[in-house]
Amino acid sequence: MRRRNFIVSALGSTAAASIPFGVTQLLAPKVVQAAEGKYLLPPGALLNLDKFNAACIGCGVCGEVCPPKCIQFHKREGAKAAQTPYINPEEKACILCGKCMEVCPTQALTVTKRSKINMGIAQIDRSACYPWVDKGICGACVAICPLGTKAIGFKMWNQYRPIVKDACVGCGLCVEICPQPSLPIKIVERSNGTIAKHLI
Amino acid sequence: MKIQKHLNKLRWLVLSIVFAMLVMLPFVYVYQTFLQSHAYDLLSGSEKQLYDIMELLTSPFVGGDPENELDAIKGTTWSGSFFGFKVSDPLTVVAQSAASLSLYQPLFIAISIPAVLTLLFGRFYCGWICPATFLYELNTNIRLLLKHMGFKVSNQHMSHSLKYYVLFLGILLSAFYGTVFLASIYPPAIIGRELFYIIAFGSFGAGLVFFIITLLFDLFVARRGFCRYFCPGGALYSLLGRYRLLRIQRIVGECNDCAKCNAVCEFGLDPLRDGFGQECNNCTACISICPTDALEFKLQFRDNEPQGPGHLGKAYLRNSNNEIK
Repeated sequence: MRRRNFIVSALGSTAAASIPFGVTQLLAPKVVQAAEGKYLLPPGALLNLDKFNAACIGCGVCGEVCPPKCIQFHKREGAKAAQTPYINPEEKACILCGKCMEVCPTQALTVTKRSKINMGIAQIDRSACYPWVDKGICGACVAICPLGTKAIGFKMWNQYRPIVKDACVGCGLCVEICPQPSLPIKIVERSNGTIAKHLI
Repeated sequence: MKIQKHLNKLRWLVLSIVFAMLVMLPFVYVYQTFLQSHAYDLLSGSEKQLYDIMELLTSPFVGGDPENELDAIKGTTWSGSFFGFKVSDPLTVVAQSAASLSLYQPLFIAISIPAVLTLLFGRFYCGWICPATFLYELNTNIRLLLKHMGFKVSNQHMSHSLKYYVLFLGILLSAFYGTVFLASIYPPAIIGRELFYIIAFGSFGAGLVFFIITLLFDLFVARRGFCRYFCPGGALYSLLGRYRLLRIQRIVGECNDCAKCNAVCEFGLDPLRDGFGQECNNCTACISICPTDALEFKLQFRDNEPQGPGHLGKAYLRNSNNEIK
């Protein structure tokens, strides 16, 4: 009987101990892929999103030191990604200062050379960008780029049509500055290329 | 009057300072935003007030470059950076290693100082630093007030070993799901994070809801219930502090069996019968309330064996016929 009592009490304790975890699961519901595509991870982040979520302890120090205050957090949603940081370049973009990498206590953000950072790559929709559809001259994205002409430049024969190059690290400043309301420039994964493809 | 009787006031001072720092740091973050914009004239009225107050408060600590110098202290008690040196909670390394199934050396360096202090002083973090303790102990006072006003507040007793199950389950779930689960149920981590979210971003996270649930649990179900029965950090510190050096002990010759120590103990321990154990957080509340100075800090690795009734108490002074000797 003692063994039975032990098993019952162990199972009961485990059930009672799982209550807080169940409550947190209910409080942080999964939101349909807001994190995919729209949001960026801070610079120097582990490239695999699952590994990043596993490594981040949710201390929030990266957001506290960020000078442009671009790092935000998944607060009431995100399930596994709860409390982890993200950057929405449409609101505020990263300036590649690297303070968040220095201050992160875990391997979630590791100190990376500026040219080796991989947050994605800028992709231009040539059917919407003003110079590409001959609706005027712009060049805002080229002017703001912190990496200069290695990352984004103009097409040779037309002075104002922007073209993204391989050195782009995906900081998103071009997205923040773009004057076109539909944002023809956005940050995507590197494998998707620098020119938006249209299926139609 | 022994000086140890005043340690409880010192403890409240430390708790208040830690909590005040956690409130101040997000305001420093907002202040730094204003500094970096270099546009005082464009701030609204309330923002200007905040700027002026923060300038006044931080001016003794900064030289010519407040924008960068204010980066010296950042973070929370969960994990922070102090003058370039990172300090983390020992629970981070347990939870994070389990979640990512790997060991990251810098994190072990960051937890080394708190871990060594915990080995020496036991669960002192829970009593002396934890920002949630600050709120939970105030919550206990509200509980006493409710009781005083005639409300029935129940005090359920559960098994103290429940929190070891929480810690164990948290490690298992973290490893299974690949996310740092313990961070979202660990009150001090929640407090630091939520204060930052509320003050800096103006919105709150799921953790605040969880924390309010634990406050209500403490208020109406069990006194300090979350810390006693559920806190995974408390479980880890109890395990680390099992053979601590500094512990509170009863002097049996001075004790008069008044049991005030048992009544005041937040963690439901039994100082009256020498029942301190690994879960004592050295909070010194029992020392400060003892009318006969029968409790004091000792340097020893083991608790005293139960010493029987106090020598000034009725049970000791009476003989077998219940007459006073």
